[in-house]
Amino acid sequence: MPETPTTADRALRIGICGPVGTGKSSLIAMLCGELASTLRLAVITNDIYTDEDARYLRSAGVLEPERIRAVETGACPHTAIRDDITANLLAVDQLEEDFAPLDIVMVESGGDNLTATFSPALVDTQIFIIDVAGGGDVARKGGPGITRADLLIVNKTDLAPYVGVDPVLMVADASEVRDGRPVIALSRGDRASVTALTDWVQTQLVAHRSGILVPADPGPMAPHSHDDGTLHVHHEGDDAHQHAHS
Amino acid sequence: MTPTLPADLVLMLLADARLPTAGHTQSAGLEPAVTHGLQSAEVADYIALRLRTVTRVEAATAVVALHHVRQGLPLDDVETAWAARTPSAALRATSRSMARAMLRVVRRLWPDDPSVRALAPGVSRAVVLAAVADACGLAPVALARLVGYDDVQTVASAALKLLPLDPADVSAWVLDALPLVDRLALEVAPLTLPGSIPASGAPQIEAWAESHAATTRRLFSA
Repeated sequence: MPETPTTADRALRIGICGPVGTGKSSLIAMLCGELASTLRLAVITNDIYTDEDARYLRSAGVLEPERIRAVETGACPHTAIRDDITANLLAVDQLEEDFAPLDIVMVESGGDNLTATFSPALVDTQIFIIDVAGGGDVARKGGPGITRADLLIVNKTDLAPYVGVDPVLMVADASEVRDGRPVIALSRGDRASVTALTDWVQTQLVAHRSGILVPADPGPMAPHSHDDGTLHVHHEGDDAHQHAHS
Repeated sequence: MTPTLPADLVLMLLADARLPTAGHTQSAGLEPAVTHGLQSAEVADYIALRLRTVTRVEAATAVVALHHVRQGLPLDDVETAWAARTPSAALRATSRSMARAMLRVVRRLWPDDPSVRALAPGVSRAVVLAAVADACGLAPVALARLVGYDDVQTVASAALKLLPLDPADVSAWVLDALPLVDRLALEVAPLTLPGSIPASGAPQIEAWAESHAATTRRLFSA
């Protein structure tokens, strides 16, 4: 089968997922602004109406417009990143062919609910993004993206005082359900948080190129299996749960 | 070849919307039709119209392509005949893009089948379906039914996203369309020559397809 010969030879595919309005497009614009001078980037968007997000990103002027493509999802944004990834995979392949070689392709999901995550067959690593304006209890409520995405971003921490949320507590809640997986409290005005984000991306890129980055599946809500025959349910505050998800 | 599988099971697999072929991105032209004023009460007529026109072209192309595959004849003439009967560049692009999506899963399902392996990049969807039909041992009439049925269900499922409808009513329209699908299949099944593929386009559907390809606000690819 000609199924992805060695994935390390192609661009790193990063999925960006999360509820509507939490800042997926802004995050991508930020990453493009930070990384485009040193890395060859391209972006796929999955909007409800074809190209709202693509237009936003093009107008942000952070990347050549032709490197930003929109995929139609037929009002099924969840399906397009999980159950039938065909349209996205073909779009990624086409971008890689048109602009070879690329370092990173970012795939932005259409704004969906807390249960949507990317298939590991579509992206190598995935970011789940929530924001303080969505409420301080969102992280505690959990869901596959919050608990098991490769990176969780708690966005717009600068808004915390205005929405009555304690961002430190929110990050602590998130960290508790994530078994040590990284959480970044992000604000575009907080330089240290932006650097933490770009450092994470660089680390993923190095891991991808060295062939040690294995796409992890955030999986269903619970219980979930680990492809090794084990099946279990996550409980709140399950601190003993320290195995690697592969 | 997978000769031991019953044809009806293979057809269920191929006609199932859960087969990952990006079917959820398609409305079979219904979205631009609705944009241009098509109403809920006209969807059943729209389905029937497609079966008489553009879908008839595709079903006939698939059947003729299957004959060429089975006789070891080149597919270029079939592809050209289809393109000549599909004047809208947008419709041709959609067919080729659906073919690529189909190919991805087909190559995974029948990796060793010579007809599947022989498919060149850029072929139309009808030709990919013909190769699959050969791989599965499907009869021409079954292949034509598959093309017709898939088109009906594509319109039906997109209608539920685009118009205020009861899903049970839409299923009834699909059931009502089945005799039309069967009639289409029986009519095109004996065809073998590229020149015999009917030139039954629908200029309005083609014009809508063109305008849809140019819009930036759409739910469906086509």
